[in-house]
Amino acid sequence: MDFKFTDEQDSLREAARDAIGRNRTEPVPGDAVHNEKMWQALAELGALGLPFPEDAGGMGAGPIEAMIVAAELGRVGARTAYADTLMAVTLLGQDELAGAAMEGSRLVVPALYEPMRAWSPEPARVTTDGSALEGVREPVPFAAAAPAVVTTARGDDGIAVYAIESPTFDGARLDLAGQSARHVGGDAHLRQALNLGTLVLAGEALGAMESALGLTVEYLKSRKQFGVPLMKFQTLTQRAADMYTSLELARSAIYFGAMSLAEDPEDDLTISRMKVITGKAGKHIGQEAIQLHGGIGMTAEYAVGHYTARLTEIEHSLGDTRYHLGRLAARVKDYGALDLVG
Amino acid sequence: MERGLSAEEAQFRQEMREFFTTKVPQEIRDKVAAGEELTKEDLATSHKILNEHGCAVPQWPVEWGGQDWSDLQRYIWLDEMQLANVPAPLPFNANMIGPVIATFGSEEMKKRFLPPTAALDIWWCQGFSEPESGSDLASLRTTAVRDGDEYVVNGQKTWTTLGQHADWIFNLVRTDPNAPKQQQGISMLLIDMKTPGVTVRPIQLIDGGHEVNEVFFENVRVPADQLVGEENRGWDYAKFLLGNERVGVAPTGWIKRKLASAKEYAASVAAGDGTLLDDPLVSARIAELECDLAALELTVLRVAANSHGGKPDPASSILKLRGSELQQDVLELIADIAGPSSLAWSDADGSEVPEWAHNATPVYLNFRKASIYGGSNEVQRGVISSGILGLKG
Ligand SMILES: Cc1cc2nc3c(=O)[nH]c(=O)nc-3n(C[C@H](O)[C@H](O)[C@H](O)COP(=O)(O)OP(=O)(O)OC[C@H]3O[C@@H](n4cnc5c(N)ncnc54)[C@H](O)[C@@H]3O)c2cc1C
Repeated sequence: MDFKFTDEQDSLREAARDAIGRNRTEPVPGDAVHNEKMWQALAELGALGLPFPEDAGGMGAGPIEAMIVAAELGRVGARTAYADTLMAVTLLGQDELAGAAMEGSRLVVPALYEPMRAWSPEPARVTTDGSALEGVREPVPFAAAAPAVVTTARGDDGIAVYAIESPTFDGARLDLAGQSARHVGGDAHLRQALNLGTLVLAGEALGAMESALGLTVEYLKSRKQFGVPLMKFQTLTQRAADMYTSLELARSAIYFGAMSLAEDPEDDLTISRMKVITGKAGKHIGQEAIQLHGGIGMTAEYAVGHYTARLTEIEHSLGDTRYHLGRLAARVKDYGALDLVG
Repeated sequence: MERGLSAEEAQFRQEMREFFTTKVPQEIRDKVAAGEELTKEDLATSHKILNEHGCAVPQWPVEWGGQDWSDLQRYIWLDEMQLANVPAPLPFNANMIGPVIATFGSEEMKKRFLPPTAALDIWWCQGFSEPESGSDLASLRTTAVRDGDEYVVNGQKTWTTLGQHADWIFNLVRTDPNAPKQQQGISMLLIDMKTPGVTVRPIQLIDGGHEVNEVFFENVRVPADQLVGEENRGWDYAKFLLGNERVGVAPTGWIKRKLASAKEYAASVAAGDGTLLDDPLVSARIAELECDLAALELTVLRVAANSHGGKPDPASSILKLRGSELQQDVLELIADIAGPSSLAWSDADGSEVPEWAHNATPVYLNFRKASIYGGSNEVQRGVISSGILGLKG
């Protein structure tokens, strides 16, 4: 058991921080906007193929490295399709679209949500007769950037994965009927894709929580009311200490999630636990960061509220705290004492 | 002790329910339900209908348009209004400057301002906070210097809610920089927003909306008869304004309405073979919030019944604290119920996701304000610990 990063991993973090810092744009309220310059910088860094084997066109690193890059995105509030693309590539397997996605020459995202249906890894009303698809996916992330999509559908032989190279969107809605879809394969990689995507989102959340706390600490030092800096009020500093506690607990869980996936990409029990811990920490830190700032924390011009917005978005992506708790709850009867390192 | 409503009170409730649900346009109430931003016209239309029926300013003195209602009746009025998704009468008019003028203004001032304030023919905004003076309001720096029959005002206000719609602003200004205590050098001035030297600049919030502003004053000349009450007594009036209302501090009707909506929403989100309302993790959360709400609403009813006749009361801090927390909790619940359907904020044509789910996250984020404005929750805890418990560290 070792939580330390290797020198290569530290260099990757530096390189990612540099590239992301140079290409980030100021956050704006509302739906994320695809930033092609950032995307190309990530491609150049190899980030888009980072966790995939070299013989498949990837960089031969792993989930730990992907999480490191994600944390840098989260730290500066850059909203990209990073988690989406890594999931899409995982789902695509040997499909040719995977190569284009890793190179950054084609934006590919998974379309896994159904409108007004709670998160489920399995399609409910998206079906296939073996060739054509039926059903609706909404919202599709980054639909405004006209991405290619990978989706799942329920057919007679179980769940299958399909690629749609040039889908026609209606806002963020994708009516699958009539779209020209290519059968990619079964759902053998679905669990791995979701685990990896969830880890990458948690990595982003980690970066966002770090920054939200960092801004809050600086603000408590510099903002004066009643003739003194806010840090004179213990009720505020103690809450900053609670935020730090949440952050460090989440960090442990996220690093552990990355290590676990490096060993077993199917380990969804660990990933669910990580998502719950990250979800709770994200709510706590996001809400307190705004509160301890006062009015300035509510404004679009100041960064802290955007971190809270992103943490909220991550909470509602790929299953929220409720979903993952439910999944864990269904399994508690299967074991006695919790054994993490065994 | 007596548990229920009397026959007259039940009758009153029925009348209020009928009024709010039949006289205020459905279209406006639907917008409130879906968490959409209301236009100036929406707010004005609703306020004016309320005023025409004596339901905009019932807490004012009867001679100025108020109603001789008991606290319980006022509670019922508010509860029914909120349950029906009727936007509140503009608080700057109805709850803030109106009662201040009615209590401290001269006869001329009352005659000049109260009728148009009740009718929303004047739209007021609140000019208290400044960039360097939020919780520490008494440190405010905007100055007013007497020059003949006028005051000359210089400085900046911020967070001015709906200042972009406002005709007038009630402003706290420093008139005596040498007063022994900061609080003793502050006055309240009524300023026409069209006066030369007043500039309004928008502030965008994290939900993308524009509801607050910065307001700048550069050598703004204000007739001296627009001073409220006496010079250097503005702090007392401000305290009265912030603390005179207990019945309306905690929006329990609003919370109740949202919780009822949360159930409908949960029942409309498919989950497995059923809906999210079948998930015990969701229904237990709703049940728990209903317990929290019950405790709060009963406390409102308990303290409303022994009001202090307009004096600020530390008990209202409990209501503000818990009211804002529960507002935030129920909006967090609704965003969680929307789940992945909340991820796209924009509602393009053809979307199968209803408006409320598109709005769930921005509304949740927007209401983080509720524990910041009107005296932050930290300030309220301070009032409770020092004002009620006598813990003066
Ligand atoms: C959406 C919105 C609308 C508003 N509308 C209006 C309006 O129409 N008119 C108007 O005049 N103002 C308005 N306000 C301003 C509001 O009243 C102030 O934001 C509030 O008083 C807090 O001040 P601040 O933002 O400067 O935060 P600060 O006072 O700087 O506080 C920052 C943090 O420190 C805490 N804190 C400060 N002092 C203490 C202390 N002594 N002990 C413990 N904790 C402390 C606060 O609780 C907060 O958590 C609005 C604010 C918002 C966000």
